[in-house]
Amino acid sequence: MAGRSVLIVGGGIVGLSCAWEAAKRGFRVTVVEKETFGGQASGAAAGMLAPFSENAAGPDAFFRLCLDSLNAYPEFVREVEEASGMDAEWRRAGSVAAALHEADWLPLQSRAAWQSAYGGRCELLEAADLRKLEPALTGEALAGLWCPVESHVSAPKLVRALEEACRRSGVTLVGDAGGVTKLETRGEAGAVLETERAGALAADRAVLCAGAWSPLWERWLPIAVPVHPIRGQICAYEKAAPEVRHMVFSSQAYWVGKQDGSLVCGASEDHAGFERSVTEKGIGRLTRWSGKMFPFLGGRQPSRSWAGLRPATRDGWPLIGPVPGMPEVVVATGHYRNGILLSPATARWVGDLLDGRPAGLAYGGAFAPERFTRLAAGASR
Amino acid sequence: MAGWEREDPGDLAGREQLAGRDYPADGAKQVVQANRDFLANGAIRIEQADRMDQADLDDLVIGGRRLSSRFFLGTGHFPSPAVLREALDASGAEVITFAVRRVNLDAAGDDSMLQHVEDRGLVYLPNTSGARTADEAVRIARLAREAGLGRWVKIEISADPRTLLPDALETLKATERLVKEGFVALPYTSDDPIVCRRLEEAGASAVMPGGAPIGTGLGILNPYAIGLIAEQARVPVIVDAGIGSAADVAQAMELGAAGVLVNTPVAKSRDPAAMARAMRLALEAGRLSGIAGRIPKKKYASASSDPAGSLFGPPGGAAVLGKAGW
Repeated sequence: MAGRSVLIVGGGIVGLSCAWEAAKRGFRVTVVEKETFGGQASGAAAGMLAPFSENAAGPDAFFRLCLDSLNAYPEFVREVEEASGMDAEWRRAGSVAAALHEADWLPLQSRAAWQSAYGGRCELLEAADLRKLEPALTGEALAGLWCPVESHVSAPKLVRALEEACRRSGVTLVGDAGGVTKLETRGEAGAVLETERAGALAADRAVLCAGAWSPLWERWLPIAVPVHPIRGQICAYEKAAPEVRHMVFSSQAYWVGKQDGSLVCGASEDHAGFERSVTEKGIGRLTRWSGKMFPFLGGRQPSRSWAGLRPATRDGWPLIGPVPGMPEVVVATGHYRNGILLSPATARWVGDLLDGRPAGLAYGGAFAPERFTRLAAGASR
Repeated sequence: MAGWEREDPGDLAGREQLAGRDYPADGAKQVVQANRDFLANGAIRIEQADRMDQADLDDLVIGGRRLSSRFFLGTGHFPSPAVLREALDASGAEVITFAVRRVNLDAAGDDSMLQHVEDRGLVYLPNTSGARTADEAVRIARLAREAGLGRWVKIEISADPRTLLPDALETLKATERLVKEGFVALPYTSDDPIVCRRLEEAGASAVMPGGAPIGTGLGILNPYAIGLIAEQARVPVIVDAGIGSAADVAQAMELGAAGVLVNTPVAKSRDPAAMARAMRLALEAGRLSGIAGRIPKKKYASASSDPAGSLFGPPGGAAVLGKAGW
């Protein structure tokens, strides 16, 4: 257990963040990625860091993990930028939830009330105030909720910066390794991994961050890993960012303006296996809704569109923690729509586990990797 | 089978018909006789048992629509579209509810949720969640109908952002108006038998008393009231809100509800599809249990077999027992 070498499997934002954290703590770290670093959900993400907007129902464990991660973000980005010499374009732009119905007022009120206790600093906006904050919004918008503490980051740039920070910190980055063909755990002697193209790799500890591909690990682990890919389709309008001042959320889509002038609009979600193409339906509905919410986009076609595979779990929450009965293996996967946001908190948690410290206690067992196992085993207990 | 078409869920004859047995309408004496006849046959016949299993498969009729499932599912809070579809499959639900304010009224096919279920021939029960007054609820219901979402509406009017408890007075006003406008109105209301009666008189196609505040999972806080509502109602009673687990669903059905509407306890469970299935089974179990009839509660024990050890024979019936071959 005292071993100081770590093998991270999966080169997305979660795997790279864990690698960076482990390297900072003095571990010898290797990251093995089957294709390219940040090539899947991480690189496709819009980079919204918006736990208040995306958790309207109440302060459950997931909200608290998201909030802890949001609060860790400024320092996380500062360190990664310093170590890499690259800009991740983190911006505390604030968010606006725009409502089209008078019936939205009550739920916005409920949300503002409980979120104020968690530092959301949300303010309800009548139509006129909403228009002052976001002049380009449709006149149909009747009310809004402004949350000044939410921020966003360029996900592709953050991934590249993390990759560089890892490299400069002595992390061994093994890309294009192909799939993992075997995992052998040897207790105190560590774990050995065999890959299609990068041969065998060994370390004292292994951290599994394989996102949508995580269920493949079930054959080596004593737990069920019910992660499924959800395709998220996204598009972007060139030179539209200056018209939209905040991140804007609505019932059907969100928009976020990026440093390069593009306005990113997401997301259409569907279940299409591992298919990563965009569809007319998926992008079309974003385009039509964009024209409705922002009349200046009416009739305009997005200049780019793409899709990523989000690793969803059955309860929508990630799996983070050690694997019972297999102390040399830690799991950090299933971050679904929140991988970018949750990376700092996940990395810190995994780092503490590697250091042998208690971790994640504040969340109870909400994210325990084994929580789906009893059901899968046919409820034998 | 006649089922709820009789619109008389509290009445014994209706219940017996639901159980698949054609007992005459006038009561307990004949039921007792029928039970004796049944036992006199000497064995429990398999086909009879099968028919009892199907007691839950009889149809619920609301607004002239025959429904094969008594499970109404809300579509909010699901972790992913794939999980929503799985849970829908597992629940067997034919009616789904969603907040009108949340959906794309310009094009339902573009909607972030409806696009995933539009291939299923489901009955849409748009709800007026977020409405604070009857006026708002009526406007929302009209928007939904104009958008082509059908003429069913779940009237939901809350005046308090913390408890979201229904405002009975506004709900009654909205029900009266929407019924006049030709809607199939299903008001969500408090567990007040008199309010439920007034809603029924106003023309509600079903009444939907809450077990507890929305999303709390506290279960049925006042079983007495829910039982009373189910007993008196001449329209289906759907217990809506407050359900926490399958046990609560079974209880609602035992109390005489015609169905349940749930959302959060399925969507936010660890495994929504498994919970949807559990609740479907509980619904069936609770309904069958209610129809079969619980025994009276007694203070002291009574032995399951008499001192002579026989099951059904008359006192001192060891010889009879031998003869019957049991």
